[in-house]
Amino acid sequence: MSEGHGIDRRDFMRGAAAAAFVGGAYAAVGDKGEEMVWQLDPNKCTQCGRCSTHCVLNPSAVKCMNQFNICGYCDLCFGYLQPGSRGRDTGAENELCPTAAIKRTYIEDPYYEYVIEEEKCIGCAKCVKACLVFGNASFYLQIRQDICINCNECSIAKACPSDSFKRVPKLQPYIYLTGDVSTTKSQPSSDPNPPQTTLGPRSENS
Amino acid sequence: MKTVRSLLVVGLFLLPAMLSVAAEMRFPPPDFQTDYKIPDLNSPAPVSSNGTRDAIILFIALSVTTWMVFKARSRRGLFIISIFSLAYFGFYRTGCICPVGSTQNVMAAVFLPDVGVSVAVLSFFVMPLLFSLFFGRVFCASVCPLGAIQELVAIAPIRISPALDRTLGLGRYVYLGLAVLGVATGSGFFICRWDPFVGIYRMGHSFGMLLAGGAILTLGIFVARPYCRFLCPYGIMLGWMSRFSKWHLDIPPSPCVKCRLCENSCPYNAINMPIPSHLVGDPEAGKRRIRRLVYVSPLIIAVGATLGYLSYEPLSRMHPKVALSERIAAENIGKLTTDTLETRTFRAGKQTVDELNAQAVQIREYFKTGGAWFGGFLALIICLKLIGLSTAPKRDIYTPNKETCFSCGRCYPYCPVEPLPKRS
Amino acid sequence: MLEKKEFETNDFLWRLSSAVAVVSGLFSLIVFLLLIFNYVQIRNIDPIDNLLITQMRQEYASLPEKDDALAQRIRDLDLLNRKAFFTSQHHLRTGAVLLFIGVSIFMISFKGAFRWKRELPKLDETPTADKEFLAFAQSRQLITWAGVGILALGMASALLTESLVMKNANASVAPEGGDAAKAGDGKEPIQVAKAEIALPTWDSMEKNWPSFRGPGSLATAHFTTAPVDWDIATGSGVRWKVEIPLPGANSPVIWENKLFVSGADKDKREIYCFDINEGKVLWSKTVEDLPGGSQAPPKVSEDTGYAAPSMVAHGGRVFAIFAEGDLVAYDLDGNRLWGINVGVPQNHYGHSSSLLAYDKFLYVQLDQKVDPKLMALDVATGKQLWMAKRSTISWASPILAQTDFGPQLILNSEETVDAYDPITGTQLWSQVCLSGEVAPSPCYKNGIVFAANEYAVATAIQLEKPGDAIEPKVLWEYDEYLPEVASPVGDGERFYFGTSGGTLVCLNAKTGEKLWSEDMSDGFYSSPVLVGDRIYVADTGGKMYIVKASSTFELIATRDMGEQVFATPAFMDGRMYVRTQKHLYCIEQKANA
Repeated sequence: MSEGHGIDRRDFMRGAAAAAFVGGAYAAVGDKGEEMVWQLDPNKCTQCGRCSTHCVLNPSAVKCMNQFNICGYCDLCFGYLQPGSRGRDTGAENELCPTAAIKRTYIEDPYYEYVIEEEKCIGCAKCVKACLVFGNASFYLQIRQDICINCNECSIAKACPSDSFKRVPKLQPYIYLTGDVSTTKSQPSSDPNPPQTTLGPRSENS
Repeated sequence: MKTVRSLLVVGLFLLPAMLSVAAEMRFPPPDFQTDYKIPDLNSPAPVSSNGTRDAIILFIALSVTTWMVFKARSRRGLFIISIFSLAYFGFYRTGCICPVGSTQNVMAAVFLPDVGVSVAVLSFFVMPLLFSLFFGRVFCASVCPLGAIQELVAIAPIRISPALDRTLGLGRYVYLGLAVLGVATGSGFFICRWDPFVGIYRMGHSFGMLLAGGAILTLGIFVARPYCRFLCPYGIMLGWMSRFSKWHLDIPPSPCVKCRLCENSCPYNAINMPIPSHLVGDPEAGKRRIRRLVYVSPLIIAVGATLGYLSYEPLSRMHPKVALSERIAAENIGKLTTDTLETRTFRAGKQTVDELNAQAVQIREYFKTGGAWFGGFLALIICLKLIGLSTAPKRDIYTPNKETCFSCGRCYPYCPVEPLPKRS
Repeated sequence: MLEKKEFETNDFLWRLSSAVAVVSGLFSLIVFLLLIFNYVQIRNIDPIDNLLITQMRQEYASLPEKDDALAQRIRDLDLLNRKAFFTSQHHLRTGAVLLFIGVSIFMISFKGAFRWKRELPKLDETPTADKEFLAFAQSRQLITWAGVGILALGMASALLTESLVMKNANASVAPEGGDAAKAGDGKEPIQVAKAEIALPTWDSMEKNWPSFRGPGSLATAHFTTAPVDWDIATGSGVRWKVEIPLPGANSPVIWENKLFVSGADKDKREIYCFDINEGKVLWSKTVEDLPGGSQAPPKVSEDTGYAAPSMVAHGGRVFAIFAEGDLVAYDLDGNRLWGINVGVPQNHYGHSSSLLAYDKFLYVQLDQKVDPKLMALDVATGKQLWMAKRSTISWASPILAQTDFGPQLILNSEETVDAYDPITGTQLWSQVCLSGEVAPSPCYKNGIVFAANEYAVATAIQLEKPGDAIEPKVLWEYDEYLPEVASPVGDGERFYFGTSGGTLVCLNAKTGEKLWSEDMSDGFYSSPVLVGDRIYVADTGGKMYIVKASSTFELIATRDMGEQVFATPAFMDGRMYVRTQKHLYCIEQKANA
């Protein structure tokens, strides 16, 4: 249209508009321009199970974690065993976790360590609920930030009935349970690509 | 609670405490005799969002597109960039965050206290608009991942009538209004929620959205870029910018010879064709129409705003809290006999029904204001469109319609005019 | 001029790409259908809550000893289930990739087919200019119509969307109620209540029988004399007998010289006021036309019926609640003062919690499936004065205990016994000790709360106040015999209750030791009442037992009431008022007894 010779009135308007636009946009940012990521607040979570079904990823980016400094290391762990189970082993009639993602290790009498194997965990929150009701509530759900793709509108947040999801600063991407934070220090992920969920057979001991 | 309890074997006297009571340490942490060390929690840092890198790549993609549109005039080149954009911004970066969705983040920063927007996201929002202000909609041409996927499937496009095209195009304004309303009232990011293509990039989404994406793409084989033309809210702003762009794609590289060959080449009805003066007829008739519209438009806008205000009830149902309070009320009076996970969770929580209802009533107030703006905005747009269509301008040659042209270059091969030799 | 490369045609390439397009298109379609099928399948394999496995696990847990064969079956099924789930997931992922490849090939070849048979631009017959010009007018019309369409849509949605919450936003009662003075359906207010009413003191309440199980619902009569010797068949000792038109499981309540009961069936709800001396009907009212009321009646079980909650007489008023959640207030002369609907109670046998009143409050225990709560309404107007959120469902009724730490409203629920301040609604204490479907109400005597239910345990809770807060302390638990419907009673030394199996049990209040238990005959639905040093209790077979309240079992008398008895009798100065299945009896102590 206009043959760009020199700066005419229109160009001036355009420049002014662009400058005003960019300036206004940056003003809108204010001092809150920190990068944010999604996380769920375990204190609000009601363990409804939607984290495992509503994530755009499959399996979900929400996993269970065990905060060891709160864990009672119980032999009779309700997060690990079916209610009223007879044995305390990995038989399917005893184990609560539907994907056998909890690893139970004998430490010393009478203590057992429970570690969540994240590649198997689907975030169904069965163990979280049981530990909350019967135990110390050391199990809780968190979004694994190395898996989460940080959608602009989190699909789980939209479906969460207890409004537990919020954006948190990227530099503090986890919401820990209260307690001594010595066991909660963030570590750089050694493996940027989490392994795919595989069918780990339950050990068949009885 | 109840399900857990029902699993309890009678005789197991470990009665659950109420969930509302903060869980206490029922079992004290063990005092290990062996040299067992409590392991650290595995809490890996977030995947780098690569905001800066993406912004740079966006800038480069926009620049290369601009060069293709203006210098190389290569439809093929644009097509190849589309493939790149689809691969990178779509499949590799999983579609988040894109400039279209970034509109909401910026709106949220404007409307909501305590919500900010990072520089990377802001640059995503601003860059395509600035390019549009100077070079036309080059972003749409081959950088936008949503546009790219539609551009690639638009294989056998038919032209729909310009009148229908313009009318369906109002859908974008409705969508934009709803999206802004959704952000301003805290109801959610509707543009992301109803993005039909993001599920395809991620190979995972709700079943319904995936089906919708497939349906829109199938339609897009024949009706080119249906999302861009009839739904895209960001396209409105790009169009406004492009309207005043300094440079814009031109069909012929040098003066048009009116050979009419490009007439059917544009599936988007974005070519302004000549209208000889004998058709334009009496300029007074057009002016009278405009005057009438200008006089009556305040009334139309008032009607729109009033209707928007009155529609606060259906509009406010978009907000989860309002929907929840209505659902609870319906359950309470026995109108609905089944409960949902949401209502069960609410009832087990601390908040009372009265508090929820008070909040819902408060949110409705926002929707009254927002609805009035929304209705007024739609009415204003309709008035402006009608004013713009009141007179047919006299045109001599074929030019792209700066507002609606996607700069896709489909018309290039049809034009027989050779570029003028360069004057150095 | 148009000898551009873009317009070359090539027949062979056109045929080839068309063929590839057809094949890849079909392939994509098949994959797409398979994916949908697989998706539906995956939704049916729920790895998290597989019903069959859950059932088998429950069965396994309930067996008396380990069953290795069943355990093995569970393991096999579990493994199979997980394999199926992960295989389907794998199929889904593979399918998605295949579909993507298929669709990509289809698109490329489809494009090729177009590319290699590209038609040169055709020019239309009609001059473009005309069309272009006409398009302006057409657009104007169409956009105008679209505007009108949007307007109509907006209007329709604005008019058709009705808000339940906003409808009641102006009413001061909780949204499911609606103030009597502002009925949502534009009806005239029934009658604005008098602002000032004389509220009875606890003393005057004790001298009457204002609610279910008497004053405070404590099952203890103020008067110590009651008839022992009567005969329904001959009419000896029967002062009067009347028939109650509609059935109801609620018990008679008495204020001064008026006795109130309610009755209801699926279609009709009535309230009756009898003269206690002559048994004549002073008035009876049909409950209808309530604002927000007249809901469809919920499903109720046969032994609950539509009028299970007992009425309460308080402050010159009498209140009744029915299965539909309709709550009404009448003055003692039968004028309706207000009526609201508290929401149809969502509980699977029907609402059965009786009403209770104290000071200016009318208490409604609404322990239901959704939104369980305890409401305290203004007896004068029916407006909600406070509300405490509850958490579970139950069928028990509240009691009002006058403890050393002030009056307490004590409620049984599915898991806990909870106490509230009757004036402010603050929760004072809570004790986890119940489970199952709780119908028996708690009882209180001398600082001890006693609560029991079938499938749980019987628990005695001593109330102490070491600091600022009242602390419940579990004194003892007992679980040999447990009540299922009837509520217990205490005399200070002992607690008594009747089971649905027909056993009467007496426990030591301090230690929980069983002092005696006697199999009587039929089960007990009617609750035992302490009159002086005697326990009166009727069983469902219609026998009234009079037992001495002591540490040894001593049956004073057994009297046949002639009909089944579910309600709890009322006792006033030497008389007993019993509601049998169809009748209301007034039994009077003979002068020589």
